[in-house]
Amino acid sequence: MSATVDRRPGPLARLPGVAAMLIVLVVVFALASPDFATLPNLSNVLVQSSVLLLLALPMTFVIMTEGLDISVGAVLTLGTLSVAATALATGSLVLAFLAGLGTGLAFGFFNGWLVAYLDLPPFVATLGSFSIAQGLALALSGGQSITGMPPGLLAIYSGTVLHIPVPILIIVIAYAVMHGLLYRTPFGTYIFALGGNREALVLAGIPPRLMLAAVYALSGLMAGIGALLLTARLNAGHPTAGIGMEFDAIAAVAVGGTAFERGNGWLFGTVLGVFAIGILRNGMDLLALPSSLEVACIGLLVIAAFLIEAIKGEQP
Amino acid sequence: MIDILERPAQTTVDDAPPLLELRGISKSFVGVKALGDVDLAVWPGEIHMLLGENGAGKSTLMKVLCGAVRPDNGRFLHHGQPVAIASAADARRLGIAVIFQEFSLVPYLDIAHNIFFGRTFRGRIPGTLDRRRLYEEARRVLDMIGFTIDPRLKVHQLGVAQQQMVEIAKALSQNARILVMDEPTAALSDRESDQLFAMIQRLKADNVAIIYISHRMAEVFALGDRITVLRDGQRISTLLPGEATPEELVRLMVGRSVNMTYPRHFRAPGPTILEVRGVSAETGIADISLDVKEGEIVGLCGLVGSGRTEVARAIFGADRVTSGEVRVFGRIRRGGPDASTKLGMALIPESRKTEGLALIHSVGDNLVLAGLDRLFPKRLFWPKAARRKAEEIVERLRIATASTLRSVRTLSGGSQQKVVIGKWLPAGARLFIFDEPTRGIDIGAKAQIFALIDELVQAGAGVLMISSEQSEIVHVCDRAYVMRAGRIAGELSRAALTAENILRLGMHE
Repeated sequence: MSATVDRRPGPLARLPGVAAMLIVLVVVFALASPDFATLPNLSNVLVQSSVLLLLALPMTFVIMTEGLDISVGAVLTLGTLSVAATALATGSLVLAFLAGLGTGLAFGFFNGWLVAYLDLPPFVATLGSFSIAQGLALALSGGQSITGMPPGLLAIYSGTVLHIPVPILIIVIAYAVMHGLLYRTPFGTYIFALGGNREALVLAGIPPRLMLAAVYALSGLMAGIGALLLTARLNAGHPTAGIGMEFDAIAAVAVGGTAFERGNGWLFGTVLGVFAIGILRNGMDLLALPSSLEVACIGLLVIAAFLIEAIKGEQP
Repeated sequence: MIDILERPAQTTVDDAPPLLELRGISKSFVGVKALGDVDLAVWPGEIHMLLGENGAGKSTLMKVLCGAVRPDNGRFLHHGQPVAIASAADARRLGIAVIFQEFSLVPYLDIAHNIFFGRTFRGRIPGTLDRRRLYEEARRVLDMIGFTIDPRLKVHQLGVAQQQMVEIAKALSQNARILVMDEPTAALSDRESDQLFAMIQRLKADNVAIIYISHRMAEVFALGDRITVLRDGQRISTLLPGEATPEELVRLMVGRSVNMTYPRHFRAPGPTILEVRGVSAETGIADISLDVKEGEIVGLCGLVGSGRTEVARAIFGADRVTSGEVRVFGRIRRGGPDASTKLGMALIPESRKTEGLALIHSVGDNLVLAGLDRLFPKRLFWPKAARRKAEEIVERLRIATASTLRSVRTLSGGSQQKVVIGKWLPAGARLFIFDEPTRGIDIGAKAQIFALIDELVQAGAGVLMISSEQSEIVHVCDRAYVMRAGRIAGELSRAALTAENILRLGMHE
């Protein structure tokens, strides 16, 4: 017995590491650039973070099951090509959207089947799908962008409803749904159990494999929705559109305080993690720093987030 | 000795069929027979004790009862009517609830969600949970067992005993009519156990049938209405407590006669090898001073939560010490567990699965792990030499394993504990700290563990032993320190070492 002696953390230790880092980033960039702390710029950060958030939310679930989905960037890429090709061929945005969703779901189910039913390690399974999706994307596009989109597409990314940009509405809805799913439904409790204690599911008569497969399917589905948004943003399908996005998504989840074991996850932390990465990129753009440096700084962010958590863990 | 499957004499209504009856249950796993033709019957308001060594088939039987494992053969009768238990839902419908020793709790869900895990209170929006109802119901169930705790606390924040209470609440919340408990007191202090027993008696009065697995003879005789002994997957005998002595039960369990007395050869202690002076740590212990001499087994007792484990960790350097000093073989210990190991100290933790063993690795790998530096001073690993050393330890400690290549996970609790102890032998450890060395271990293996500890001490080692079982402390130890609320409340010499004295010192004023 070790947990019986009371160790209540102080107020500073209870502030999540990611929140502290977010505050530091905002203060630093606000001081360094007069353009940073303006409403249009901050709204821009949210809009630019929208696709990443759509990937990072379900990635939180995947990581809570002690898994990983590194295929989402490539699935996103393939999704934009599906959306663009369908839009070009049919002129219908609805069909284009369905094509993107279908692509995402197909890979989600495929990953879920590999991981949950064939017991492949998640890293290996999704690395395989990553290559398949990226390869298909290059083959289908011949390495070229697909352009000539119908006029309505652009409005999905740059339009507003009641003065609020559409991408912001989409991520607010996406977060609300995901939050509800994790914290307000039985399925959410199963996600905690998949990483925390799979035996609990078996004993309660709930099929763990089916639930695990569903988590990967959800990840694919959200990549499909992200594909629509990204295609609208580029007004084209591009064979490298989503490259590296899986790493940003995993980084956001890690920065947000979700541990990689025992089902210890925090969904809103992921949102903060996405914003931290978004603000970092935006702030460095404003200061005209080279974008290659941004990638390195995201790495520092991940390490700093884990260090803060580790230091907090030691101090009572 | 008569074998009785019939209804016990002391229950009230005659010739009513049992609440649940198992007939001829058999189950094999890839060629290994786990259960062979087992019969078992429980009546309402009966506490049916189930005894058997690890590997006797108790856990398989429990899994059969809760629908997690389907038997190859056999029938279930509920109130005399044939029923099927093919799934967890079937078992739940029949009012069967099982409390496992390996907790079925989810660490990062709160208490309320864990209690009602897998069941739903439908919320207003389809597919959602009614959280207000959830917390109300959780509160009601927790009140029922007299457990005052915030149901919003996450399970990973709780201690083992508290988790056990949540586990019980979870079972009771299903309106269980048949409650199966696997060593429920293994993680509890005596006071907590008493609370549990009172609750069990209330359930019994409420006509709940209880199947209770235990390794503790005192419990078997204090609680049991009938006792069933399993061995090698077979039901050996079912008897009334008045008909059997503890020695007989042990003989039935192991199939041979086992000396129940604790194997201990007391000798005159040698020089002091562990000296702890005024140690305090952030984990809540303060001003701890104690000694261990060569050839001694020194007990460290007190209620669960009094800081015993924290003392062990502070001495070993696993937690930071804020004041005081620890001398090992006359030298001041500086640094962490690594330094302690080099000085010849070994800590055998309570949760051997998470702290003491690399479960996925082989018996051989685990055995040489702690002594790598000493076995291979040139830092080159020779698999053959490592294997020879491991085999030598397996033989010396009589670890029941087919080969040193087997995964530790496949061993019984007693054998795993021997591996944890054995891995310190190549490391040259001569000061051992045991934290609950016999938790979850059956009687046959317990005696072997104590024989092993005795052997270590005979060979000149010193031992500090934490145990919640007072009889262990009383029979095995040269002396004992009793802890209360993070401090040492007193020291008991061999002559003064009685259960009453331990209790008197350890109880809160």
